[in-house]
Amino acid sequence: MKDLPSTVFVVDDDDAVRNSLKLLLKSAGIAAESAASAQEFLSTYDSSQPGCLVLDVRMPGMSGLEMQHELNVRGAIIPVIFISGHGDIPMAVEAMQHGAFDFLQKPFRDQDLLDRVQRALARDAENRTRLRLTDRIRERLSTLSPREREVLQLVTQGKANKMVAGDLGVSQRTVEIHRAHVMQKMEAGSLAELVRMMMTVAQ
Amino acid sequence: MVGPSQNGRDAPADDAARERTIIVAGRSSLRTREVLNALAGFRNVIWPTSLESTLAETGAVTAGCLVIADDLREEPIDDLLVEARELQRNLPIFVITDSDDVAEAVSAMRHGATAVIELPRSYSTLRDEVSRAMQ
Repeated sequence: MKDLPSTVFVVDDDDAVRNSLKLLLKSAGIAAESAASAQEFLSTYDSSQPGCLVLDVRMPGMSGLEMQHELNVRGAIIPVIFISGHGDIPMAVEAMQHGAFDFLQKPFRDQDLLDRVQRALARDAENRTRLRLTDRIRERLSTLSPREREVLQLVTQGKANKMVAGDLGVSQRTVEIHRAHVMQKMEAGSLAELVRMMMTVAQ
Repeated sequence: MVGPSQNGRDAPADDAARERTIIVAGRSSLRTREVLNALAGFRNVIWPTSLESTLAETGAVTAGCLVIADDLREEPIDDLLVEARELQRNLPIFVITDSDDVAEAVSAMRHGATAVIELPRSYSTLRDEVSRAMQ
């Protein structure tokens, strides 16, 4: 499945800031949309849409930090770049501790914002690729029988068929058959690949 | 470091608690002294003589925290943080500064700091953070 094109969402209550940022991003060839409040953004946000957020810290109603919290609760992975007119260190530290991608103080140079946006979009693409891979592996895992899952666990711990047979109280031949099924269902070409898959989903 | 118990009376939990260590280091001796003052009353505070030996210490300490007293404005601390993070994945690292430069603080956070704390403005924040790390 191919991702939709990346979009930068600008959330700021100041019309002038919103419009100039949208213009800046579009002039750099980056698709941009905007919302005048956190509520407006959250009511239409689709987390399957790749991109990043440029989020004002202080807004009437729900603040940028509160909106970040809400996104975290929803399990959204979209990178957030905060922009702030009167940022201080405690505010920036709090935003970063809650997973902000970056925190930029106004006034900033256009290029500084564009650089950060590009980096955030690259990060988002990486995250989405990794998540897709994890989902695929989980899907394959779900097709295993309980016995096959036990065999998978033991062989990825490095146990030889003979030891697995002993652990499970079955014949070595039975383990071999289960193991072959596991490799087939997981679409793994080697034990090393299988181990890598298990490490990927464990992360 | 605490060695194996000679008499066998110490419970493992006690050993773990005793090994929690606050390592204080800094490129600014004035700032380092200020941090040590702020942490008066905490047990197991050590302050190695140089930043290099500090990084060696963070490798040996498995629980507690690292407090780096620094003047961010003089020289970015980012490389040092990356190095400390490689040695110690789990130890919280608090960067203490008297600068109010948000960009430097954000950069330190991006490079592995758990928090950036301004002194003398936030004595209580420092004590709170360190208390949490020592629990």
